[in-house]
Amino acid sequence: MISVLALARFRVAGYVASHRALQPLIGLLALLAVLYAGPIPAGQEIGATADSAAMLVPVLAWAARGLLDTEPDEQRSVALSALGPRELVGGLLAAFASLLALAAIAEAALLFRLAASPTLAVLLTGVWLHLLSATAGLALGALTSRPILPSPAVSTIALILGYLSMLVISLAGARWLTVPVMGWMRDAHHGELQANLPLLTVQSLLWPAVGLAAYTRLRRTRP
Amino acid sequence: MRIASLSFRYGRRAPWVLSDAGLVLDPGDVVEVTGPNGTGKSTLLRLIAGLLRPVRGSVQDRPRVVGYAPERFPADQPFTVASYLRHMAAVRRVSTDAIGRWSERLGMDHLLGQRLPDLSKGSAHKVGLAQALLAEPGLLVLDEPFAGLDAATRAELPRIIGEIGARGGIVVVSDHQGDLRAFPGLRRCEVRDRAVRELEPAEEAGETALTVLEVAVDASRAADLADRLRAEGCTVNITGRTSAHVAGEAAG
Repeated sequence: MISVLALARFRVAGYVASHRALQPLIGLLALLAVLYAGPIPAGQEIGATADSAAMLVPVLAWAARGLLDTEPDEQRSVALSALGPRELVGGLLAAFASLLALAAIAEAALLFRLAASPTLAVLLTGVWLHLLSATAGLALGALTSRPILPSPAVSTIALILGYLSMLVISLAGARWLTVPVMGWMRDAHHGELQANLPLLTVQSLLWPAVGLAAYTRLRRTRP
Repeated sequence: MRIASLSFRYGRRAPWVLSDAGLVLDPGDVVEVTGPNGTGKSTLLRLIAGLLRPVRGSVQDRPRVVGYAPERFPADQPFTVASYLRHMAAVRRVSTDAIGRWSERLGMDHLLGQRLPDLSKGSAHKVGLAQALLAEPGLLVLDEPFAGLDAATRAELPRIIGEIGARGGIVVVSDHQGDLRAFPGLRRCEVRDRAVRELEPAEEAGETALTVLEVAVDASRAADLADRLRAEGCTVNITGRTSAHVAGEAAG
């Protein structure tokens, strides 16, 4: 595990030192500027949190893909020679850590623009939703990374279509068929989110788990 | 370590690169893999190192610690040589002392402060070799390790390979230039027509007759020239017989 953490540190360091980390950060800041142009009125904290988590998914997927793709292919071979299949865990850990940093920035911006201070339950629900958002972003980013989809054009289109399919399918109310991002927003604005959270968590983790399992499986023949 | 009826292709519709290939590698073996361009030498090396998974067949009993130096070191990374090697040492859980030791042996300690993208091809190649050697590998796989190296390192590398073999490590090297030909006990394999064929040592020796060449050289340059000739695959003995430099000899 120490080796895997060292590899994750190496990848985060490479990602931060390259200009690639800036792209999703700028995207995130633009999104936050639009979302929080005005302050959030009292009573709408939970709705705003759900909106933020849902809209963050493509930015986080982009960041995860960027981190996994920063390293040259031959360097991934070198890491693979040192760690074997655990190389993959190092990459996913590094990507998840970078997503947590971006999600934390989004949360901080949200808290900064609240008119009234939120209750602890609302705050924790918000953090939880952003964790779900990061998991969905990680899976989508990993599945569109270079070892799986070598063409940058195909990978970008797949990432966008992946997110659009989440929106469309969950808008249609089919919560088990995708990550129900529209369900997060709907429940939050109807005041049902906290009651539905356990079920929503299971639904939101199901497809990312399937996605990450598929990624692990595909990487066996796509080093 | 045993490679048994191994077949590989890069995709369902791609042609087979290797088909039913086999090879047994014993501790201490040093193997040179030869073959024409594009026949699958690098693919075989990647399969041996465990970077690719065989489509059919298996690679059994691979030593636990594997060092792999790619043919082209990926220099497009935002690190200095020292910080890159420190990260690799951490990944391999070896002490950073190993970095100093190997950079000195590979003649690259003056490069440690440089950024990877600024390195020349040969210097970047040395970084690739250093990271592969850091962890005292039980299996060392080097893809064209001699390409672009300076004379001193070309002479040093066979000594390093010899030391790894002497402590029971397996070394597999693909080499176009024949830098390892003079290596004692070298096994040679050829990749051709999707198969791996072991070449008899006699096959090569029978083709060339040895001859002895006497070279007189400035005493101060003797060691350097000997290294360069050894890198060319010659057996060199420095006899140490010195004679005065006679200026008139050439005229007479």
